[in-house]
Amino acid sequence: MVNYLAMNEGNISEVNLETQTGVADIGLSSNALWQSVLGEVELICTPQSFRTFWLPTKLISFNNDKLLIEVNNIFAKTQFEKKFAPLINDILKKHGLTRPQLEFITSSTKRREHNEDVMVVETSKKSSGSTPAKFESRLNSRFTFDNFIVGSCNDLAYAAAGAVAEHPGEKYNPIFIYGGVGLGKTHLIQAIGNKITGQWPAKRVLYASTEEFVNDFIHHLRSKTVDEFTRKYRDIDALIIDDMQFIAGKEKNQEAFFNTFNALHQASKQIIIAADRPPANIPTLTDRLKSRLLMGMAIDVNLPDYETRVAIIELKAAHSSVQLPRETAEYLAENIKTNVRELEGSLNYILANAEMRGIEPTPEFAAELLANSRTARPKHITARQIIEKTARYFELKPADICSPARDKYIVLPRQIAMYLLRSELHMSYPKIANELGRKDHTTALHSIEKIDREIKLDITIREKVAEIREVIYA
Amino acid sequence: MKIIVTQENLNRALNIVGRIATTRASLPILANILFRTDNGRLIIAATNMEVSITETIGAKVENDGAITIPARLITDFVNNLPHSNVNLETDGGKVKISAGGYKSTINAALADDFPELPEVKPANKFTIDAESLKEAISKTIIVASSDTTRPILTGVYVYSLDGVIYFAATDGYRLAEKKVMDEKSDISVIVPASTLSDVLRVLNGDEKVRIELDDEQISFMIGDITITSRLIDGRFIDYRQLIPTKTEFSATVDRNEFIRIVKVAELFARESAGSIVLKTKQAGQELSVESITSQIGENNSTIDAEVKGDGVVTLNSKFLLDALNAIGDDKVNLHFSGKLAPVLLTGENDDYKHIVMPVKS
Repeated sequence: MVNYLAMNEGNISEVNLETQTGVADIGLSSNALWQSVLGEVELICTPQSFRTFWLPTKLISFNNDKLLIEVNNIFAKTQFEKKFAPLINDILKKHGLTRPQLEFITSSTKRREHNEDVMVVETSKKSSGSTPAKFESRLNSRFTFDNFIVGSCNDLAYAAAGAVAEHPGEKYNPIFIYGGVGLGKTHLIQAIGNKITGQWPAKRVLYASTEEFVNDFIHHLRSKTVDEFTRKYRDIDALIIDDMQFIAGKEKNQEAFFNTFNALHQASKQIIIAADRPPANIPTLTDRLKSRLLMGMAIDVNLPDYETRVAIIELKAAHSSVQLPRETAEYLAENIKTNVRELEGSLNYILANAEMRGIEPTPEFAAELLANSRTARPKHITARQIIEKTARYFELKPADICSPARDKYIVLPRQIAMYLLRSELHMSYPKIANELGRKDHTTALHSIEKIDREIKLDITIREKVAEIREVIYA
Repeated sequence: MKIIVTQENLNRALNIVGRIATTRASLPILANILFRTDNGRLIIAATNMEVSITETIGAKVENDGAITIPARLITDFVNNLPHSNVNLETDGGKVKISAGGYKSTINAALADDFPELPEVKPANKFTIDAESLKEAISKTIIVASSDTTRPILTGVYVYSLDGVIYFAATDGYRLAEKKVMDEKSDISVIVPASTLSDVLRVLNGDEKVRIELDDEQISFMIGDITITSRLIDGRFIDYRQLIPTKTEFSATVDRNEFIRIVKVAELFARESAGSIVLKTKQAGQELSVESITSQIGENNSTIDAEVKGDGVVTLNSKFLLDALNAIGDDKVNLHFSGKLAPVLLTGENDDYKHIVMPVKS
């Protein structure tokens, strides 16, 4: 018993000693009260039962005759609730507590409830700020400006998006954000929406992917409820459309969007659009829509630089509450340069692997795992495939590219093919020249340098190369 | 208490329930089986404080009451009785049992000292047919860990995702996931593998199993038998990341042939702790398995396969055999990329995924 008292001393601080009504009367601190209960129980029950059920208990709180007692598992909880409660009541009665209320919890529930408490606080904050009327914005509250990592690659887009969120409908309307896959377009446009609803809970913000917009339109068209469609998309304060490029080629849908756009724009409602390329480069987008999309501000997000990538990795790791060594973050940032989604995917893959094997995610471990998935990549791709896919992209035959012809419409694809052979497969210049039926390696050298230069200057070339690259790896 | 039951019923129930009773627990009474009358029937129960099993059997109840009897003794005794009616009658701390010419008196313990049986206050319930449950359990518990330092891996993760229930387990070296059935309710629990093997033993025939669960406990109701267990506390690892989606090499082979060549290779892999080398050859459309032991010799067997890519990977033969046995279909698909990436094995459809981590070589 002496041991037990000493063992439990640490818990006294958890118990609120001063404010209890019942305790003051009987002149016992609540912990001492529980000790005296245990003392009596020990005399009554078998030592085995005492050790199994009673010894691991703790009095968590004691307020207004209500005792909250922690027991070691769910099984013990059943015993206390069904079997031992009358016994405890009897003993407490002797101490002057006439009608004590008993509640038992297990240590795991205690932990869980504690977590839930925190969550409840958060959600209640959120709900107090939401619109009284039920309106579904379809925004994902995970995407905010706070957890968007800003670097030189996206600071302009970030600033513009921030300005739009501060003054919806006034500045940059529409705002058109474009960039390759996994660079944070969706994050940014959703953050605008979340910021607007956060600031003005009454404002209605609607987020829809182009696919959803198109499906909605077709659905209402079919069920002859176009009015409803019009109301849904026009009776709002901000419209966010993601993946605009998918509207290409759909005449009737473009018209529906065009009308929606005009109506909203005229009413000074904010329009926010994301696509994987600038409006000018979306084929079969009607000219009037193109010009409309460029009315406000079109701004691109680029590949994040090294520092930004490190910051992104560290934020993601912190989100999954993992202690990621700095070196591992740096290793990942150095080795994955394609896009944020791949960065995140690789990080998750490494963390999941580390968790499964129960080891620390060191840079060596990351290197080992990545070496696998990365070497796997180029092996898939042959020079043939690059030439073939480049040719097909330009609607040429592979033989055309390799032929001696010097027509302009063949020269550019050929140069791009050479550029890709160099950048993707790290082939030597003579080998590249040979692949494309050229005799002199300087041809390859010249072509690659030319494309390298033009990519920096000409956005259409950059887009084309990026698209072919995607086709190659698809 | 005074009751009459048939030997067959009593024997079957004791065999199922008695397994749980344990002499190793800190509470001596847990080595006993509880007998209690309930509305004209007899409840037989045992618990080890993690799992409890109860079975209700038909009985002629002449006097209500309850008693606990040492599990080993009563199980062995009843097992040896002839097929006839068995009379049980309590007399203070003793119980008299007679059947035909067999008579015995056993020193029992009072039922008051027996722990209360747990009850689930179900937050969620669903039913599943025994066959599906059996398959889901047997295909996943084989890879659950026995390492108690990482408790979550000693269980099977039962959860719903997009309206489908999955069972998943891993021991850190391999991982299995079984898609089980459509179910709307939201479920996410880790059930101890030991509980599931108890469930597996009880499952037979084609009845439906009712499952009830709350945050801390799960109950399986199989006919007259109820198995209730605590759940493992914690968050299961985010294993879906580990299932390879695209792989460089693949082979589709006849499962029985594959098992045969792996078993042969295993004979030559004792020295290398069971590591065997798998090779795919696209040109010959074949899969070969190699193993080398400096003392015994070496082995190389080849079978026909539909192959994509020329790849090499080293696996543990036992893990591979476990996977092949669990898959059960006629054809097996093997997917891998390189020497270190996880190897994915599937059967003829995607319902069951088995992943084995390669051996470093």
